[in-house]
Amino acid sequence: MADIVSEASTVPLTNSKKPRGRTNRLMIAMLALPTFYSLVFFIGPLIFLIALSLWKVENFRVVPAFTLENYISVGQQMFGNSNYSIAILQSLYVAATTAALCVALCGAFVLALVYTLPSRLHRLALLLAVAPFWTSYILRVFAWQILLAKRGIINTALSAMGIDWQLAVLNTQTATRIGLLHYSAPVIIVILFVTVKSIDRDLIEAARNLGATRWTTFRTVILPLSRVGIVLSFCFASIIAFGDVLSGSILGGGAGRSLVGSVPLFANVIMSDYSGSTNLPRVCVLAIIMVLILVFILMAGMKGSEAAQRSIS
Amino acid sequence: MNIWTKSLDYESLATTDTPDRPVELPDIEIRAIAKSFNGMTALDEVSFTVERGEFLAIMGPSGCGKTTLLRILAGLETADSGTLLSRGKRIDQIPVHRRNMRLVWQNYALFPHLNVRNNIEFGLKLQKLERRVIDAKVAAIAEMVRLTEFLDHRVTVLSGGQRQRVAIARALVTEPDILLLDEPLSALDANLRVHMQSELKRLQQTLGIAFVYITHNQSEAFSTADRVVVMNRGRIEQIGAPREIYLWPRTRFAAEFVGSNNLLEGRIASVDGNVVSVDCGAGRFFVALPDERLAHGYRPAPKATVTLVIQASKVRGHATGVANENQVTAVVTDTEFTGSQIVQHLRLEDGTALRMIAPDPFSGSTPGPGSTIDVYWSPEDCVLVGPRILPSSQNIPGTKSYVRMGG
Repeated sequence: MADIVSEASTVPLTNSKKPRGRTNRLMIAMLALPTFYSLVFFIGPLIFLIALSLWKVENFRVVPAFTLENYISVGQQMFGNSNYSIAILQSLYVAATTAALCVALCGAFVLALVYTLPSRLHRLALLLAVAPFWTSYILRVFAWQILLAKRGIINTALSAMGIDWQLAVLNTQTATRIGLLHYSAPVIIVILFVTVKSIDRDLIEAARNLGATRWTTFRTVILPLSRVGIVLSFCFASIIAFGDVLSGSILGGGAGRSLVGSVPLFANVIMSDYSGSTNLPRVCVLAIIMVLILVFILMAGMKGSEAAQRSIS
Repeated sequence: MNIWTKSLDYESLATTDTPDRPVELPDIEIRAIAKSFNGMTALDEVSFTVERGEFLAIMGPSGCGKTTLLRILAGLETADSGTLLSRGKRIDQIPVHRRNMRLVWQNYALFPHLNVRNNIEFGLKLQKLERRVIDAKVAAIAEMVRLTEFLDHRVTVLSGGQRQRVAIARALVTEPDILLLDEPLSALDANLRVHMQSELKRLQQTLGIAFVYITHNQSEAFSTADRVVVMNRGRIEQIGAPREIYLWPRTRFAAEFVGSNNLLEGRIASVDGNVVSVDCGAGRFFVALPDERLAHGYRPAPKATVTLVIQASKVRGHATGVANENQVTAVVTDTEFTGSQIVQHLRLEDGTALRMIAPDPFSGSTPGPGSTIDVYWSPEDCVLVGPRILPSSQNIPGTKSYVRMGG
């Protein structure tokens, strides 16, 4: 009798915070796969990258070590011979302009979709809009090369129509931007679609009822309420554009011309260093710099979207 | 500074006998407005008017078309056919942002990214007024709806009642001709609702502009409105003052929807002056028609199918000895205590259900379930409703009349 009573007093009357028994095991089982994926394909390579950057090269072979000479060497070259800083600047410039263009064009497209089509067709329309992007990216880049080439389809058509002006965008960053735009479009369209759809239709009708024209409604209601989506789209498009190497090399010709000059993109610099040089740890340092920049852009985007969310709620 | 200006249009009708004072054109005239969605009729050639400065309530069950009607008035939907006039001028072609009617939404539709002040002045800024004029108007309307201390708050931290006042202030500060309200009080709790009903009535009387108020709550409609429109399935069942609809419903739906009415089916046996005798399953009952019914030319034909309507509060447990008093035997099936009254559910000989409101809930002498009692009511208290009855003079000639002469 006494032991039953004492056992009863140790059992808590309320649910404790930690899930017990079967629930706990289920949670562990469900988290195992994403954790495994994250470790093997993300954390692991990242650690390997950092480790490799601390090794050194002796007699044309990579040797494990712990030295900071690669970092020092890259730091010295930043503004010197290899001019990494100018490449980073070029990449940032192209990424930012691509992101802005992407958000503007995809935004206009999504607005047209959401506000002209009846609601029941929205999902289908989104599917049709995004489906073409499921084809292979590199094949699309090559297709753009054929379209934009000096004797490509566009120029041949122009001269066949008797127009003097010829398209000369290949080997400039304009062509790179076209490829990058094509690459980031599906993601941005989906993000902006969700954002615009979530704007309460009543608010738009209220603005109209109070005397706003369609343009004023867009400026004062739709645009402010899309802030979160716009910030996130800009962030994601920048990340996609900054890290890409295919558009820059195939369409941009490796060191495409832009306002910053005929400077290669940072991603292309890494690629060419990787294939050209014999110093793998040094290339790892460059890669780590790129990862840091991307993480910075991501964090800025997260902070920005939080601030945007606070401003509209 | 008197910022509230009202201009009245005076136009006289050209008739043979000129009235000695100018007649104001109605604020809204709806003529045969019809609207369908995907083959489903939302409005079936509806016609009525909203008089100048009137508080009109539109009442009906969900899906009866009242919200669609309001949206057509505001310009958010276009009617499939029919015309819309305001003060004598056609407004169907005017786009939504140029109409002078403001809508107050059921969920208020306040802009979440703006604070209270910016919400209220939204319409004023679009009119391109001077900054100090805008500030003065906003201050005046905030004073009127008692929101002055909340002007710089964000709207998402406000309570339901406060948000509702912001929505009303936002609409009224632009000085519209007509205010449209779509179930504005349905999201509030009961106490606040009653308080806001009188606030809205007071506001309407102070401003003198027409309010068109949609609700499915009968007490709300009846306590605030000058006239009530009862709608059902895209048609108007009855229009009139609240008392008129309550005491003399004209259609079966109006009788069922408004008040707690008992309905007895039957056939007309004979007509003697203004007393009609009706044979129902439970017996023969007498109905005394009011004079205005006879004035409209309503002549109930013998053997016509009618419904006899008697209010639950008019059914008594004792005789009073009036001429042609109705009497019937019934069995009590249930007693319902609603707090302020006791509702007795009765069953007549032919199975028809009857409700009686017992006058003295705490006397302890109400008969319990199973007991047989006699109930009485006066012939003046009941109303005859036919399946097809000529409505009152709101039926504008030339439009399709959905009801025909009874008989």
